[in-house]
Amino acid sequence: MAFRKSATYLTPLIFFLVVITFFPLALGPQQSLLSALAPGVIWISALLASLLAVEGIFSEDQRDGTLDQYFLSNEPAFLLVFAKVLCHWLVCGAPILLASIFGSMILYLPDGVLIPLLFSLFMGTFFMSLLGALGAALSLGKSAILSAVIVLPFSIPTLLMGTAIMASAINGQDYSGYLSIMGAMLAIGIPGLCILTVEAILLSYE
Amino acid sequence: MGSPPLFYQWASAFLPWLGVLAIITFTVGLFWGLGFAPTDYKQGDVYRIIFIHVPSAILGQSIYLMMAVFGFISMVWRAKIAGMLLIAAAPIGAGFTLIALVTGSIWGKPTWGTWWVWDARLTSTLILFFLYMTIIALHSSIENKTKADRTISILAVLGITIVPIIKKSVDWWQTLHQPSTFSLTSAPSMTPDMYQPLLLCVLGFYLIFIFMLTNGLRAEIISRERDKNWVKKQFLNEEIG
Repeated sequence: MAFRKSATYLTPLIFFLVVITFFPLALGPQQSLLSALAPGVIWISALLASLLAVEGIFSEDQRDGTLDQYFLSNEPAFLLVFAKVLCHWLVCGAPILLASIFGSMILYLPDGVLIPLLFSLFMGTFFMSLLGALGAALSLGKSAILSAVIVLPFSIPTLLMGTAIMASAINGQDYSGYLSIMGAMLAIGIPGLCILTVEAILLSYE
Repeated sequence: MGSPPLFYQWASAFLPWLGVLAIITFTVGLFWGLGFAPTDYKQGDVYRIIFIHVPSAILGQSIYLMMAVFGFISMVWRAKIAGMLLIAAAPIGAGFTLIALVTGSIWGKPTWGTWWVWDARLTSTLILFFLYMTIIALHSSIENKTKADRTISILAVLGITIVPIIKKSVDWWQTLHQPSTFSLTSAPSMTPDMYQPLLLCVLGFYLIFIFMLTNGLRAEIISRERDKNWVKKQFLNEEIG
């Protein structure tokens, strides 16, 4: 569905790439500086891009009545919300993940840490999609910036874990512990955030 | 207590006593701490700011915990009063968190030599402050108050995942901020002369919080039920009597 309009998946991708490009322009092109900042820069840009991408996830469905059908169908609503977020991530999050490989090249990410970057971003962007869906549901019919403001503070643990993974990977330490914590956050987040999102959508009907 | 008129009457009778008790406890604790507790051998008199800093930091966190509990209650049982308590507590919690940040920063300047460090605990307290702010912002953006209450209850429940990270952060990252002074399981590491007034201050802050919360809830009830008969009767009686 979302593939039909290229704006859905192209806009976050362009946003991500442009933000990545902004950092060398703002900080100067020294390779050592950029290389040190690269993991953080890529992480922040990916988080913001996937957050912005997911902001309007329910508004179209609300307008044409698809959202009503979620709650009329026999399937549990949180499962449908999860499917919606998953599709959205495949369309918007996955391209950002691929683009981060390109981003890591132009920001001189240190060698050998691309795999942990992709692993952590994979979970991080998906978590952000779930979180962003909740923000979108809470601010259904309100301004986009409100949805972003609501969600941003809650994304900090994800950001902390992601940068912790990157820091230990760059120092050559074992990062599997942080990766497990992040996986655990995702495992709790999938059912937890989907249920809260359903609750939030139901509220908008009152 | 579930019904607003009953709560209002109960609170009105109880409030002045609570206020007096809170002021006495807080004043005694503060005077004891600022005037009579011994001077710290390393930090000198600067340490005395903990008599405000520590209680407000404790309050900032426990108010959030309380809000999450109320949020859960309002989500599951749809209790109206829990939602009202939630939004009445939010500005107070934000205030205490801000006091904790500001006093900590004032203490940090002479002791650590800087107003701010990106220490795990400082950062998470700042995030806690942001959480309070988002809750207040979201609540004010929704016209229907009952709906707004339930919307922020979702945020409050979600935010509870943040507070454990704050509590554990000192242990996870070894950083500048000293570990907690109080713990329920072991004896305090400071002398009784210092922690007794501190304990009194914490108690005083809690009482002040309960006082402010009850007062805020009263105002919230009146403003939402202003069209109801019992409110009109109440205020007409007060004017006559």
